[in-house]
Amino acid sequence: MKTENNNNRTLKAAALVEKARGGNRTSFQGLVNMFQEDIYRLAYYRTFSQMDAEDLTQEVFEQAYRKMNTLQDPQRFSAWLYSIAVNRCNDFLRKRKYLALLRLRTAQEPDFMNAAKDMGNSHYDKIEKKRFWKQVKLMLHKLSAMERQVFTLRFMDHRNINEIADILGKNESTIKTYLYRALNKVRKHSELLKDYRESV
Amino acid sequence: MMKSENQSHLQEEQILWAVIDEKEIAGDELLHLHACPLCTKKVEQIKDGLQELGRKAMLAAPPVSRTVTLPGKKPTTNIHNAGWLPFFGAAAMASFVVFFYIMGMKTLPPDNLSPLQVQESLLEDESLMREISDMVDYPLSEDMYEITGDNGIGFDEDFLQFIVPDMEDDFQSEIII
Repeated sequence: MKTENNNNRTLKAAALVEKARGGNRTSFQGLVNMFQEDIYRLAYYRTFSQMDAEDLTQEVFEQAYRKMNTLQDPQRFSAWLYSIAVNRCNDFLRKRKYLALLRLRTAQEPDFMNAAKDMGNSHYDKIEKKRFWKQVKLMLHKLSAMERQVFTLRFMDHRNINEIADILGKNESTIKTYLYRALNKVRKHSELLKDYRESV
Repeated sequence: MMKSENQSHLQEEQILWAVIDEKEIAGDELLHLHACPLCTKKVEQIKDGLQELGRKAMLAAPPVSRTVTLPGKKPTTNIHNAGWLPFFGAAAMASFVVFFYIMGMKTLPPDNLSPLQVQESLLEDESLMREISDMVDYPLSEDMYEITGDNGIGFDEDFLQFIVPDMEDDFQSEIII
């Protein structure tokens, strides 16, 4: 069922891509509507900042719009868009790291509390969310850059292995190896897989 | 029986590979996985944990508050298409030029003044010079000159006689002598 939905989405996106390549702005807007939330979340899981994630989302779609004609296979739009997003996020994080070295900006600027405030949830929810993101950050911190990338794409962005391979330009077995290493580290350290660890 | 069953359970490594992709584990092990509730439970627990992580992440991420704006998008397309905006700009520019020209006229240098304006200016200068000259001749106020007697009026003769009497009228000095 899920695969069928994904296929329908791919076909729908491909049709919009065809029209958007011909200069149809409405079709591109359709693609934005279809992928905006996914790309925003992808950016948020990497920056942990709502403002930065929104800026990156805007940049990703601007770049996609400008380079639309370089996309050869419309059915690959999703992977192509994700690869733009991943590269943009990597550039951003690199830049943020350098700025942190120069003490112009902190390396990580989580705005979990602000985000929670905007959502108008209870104080308890805010604390829970803050705690959750803290655990996620601790877990991801244990992984290498590539392991983190693969793990996040697979289990947080919900991409399947061949999509991840396409996005990162690697072969599937490499992706699986990174995924195995990431899972092995997460299983040992993360609170998030505590139930499993306790049962073993 | 129990012992052999335990020995054939999947290793941690195989469990993880099963989570990633079942095709990655060998045929016998795959058969065992499908047949063994314990191993299946382990795989499912990890899968559930990861699924829960993804679900929580989705819920905990703040919602998008800003919509993406397409590059080159003109928010007031109709106005731009009307074509009158460049003319409006040109008219505004011309107005500015005229305005500054008129303002410039009001602040022309003295060379460009009319003869009447020159005469007025000269009279004003003369009056000012006279005032300065008076101030040089009489630097003190009028009251001060009255006290010192320099105002040309002078003191009354009787008053001076009273203050400084002549010697022959001074009877006291005679007595002393």
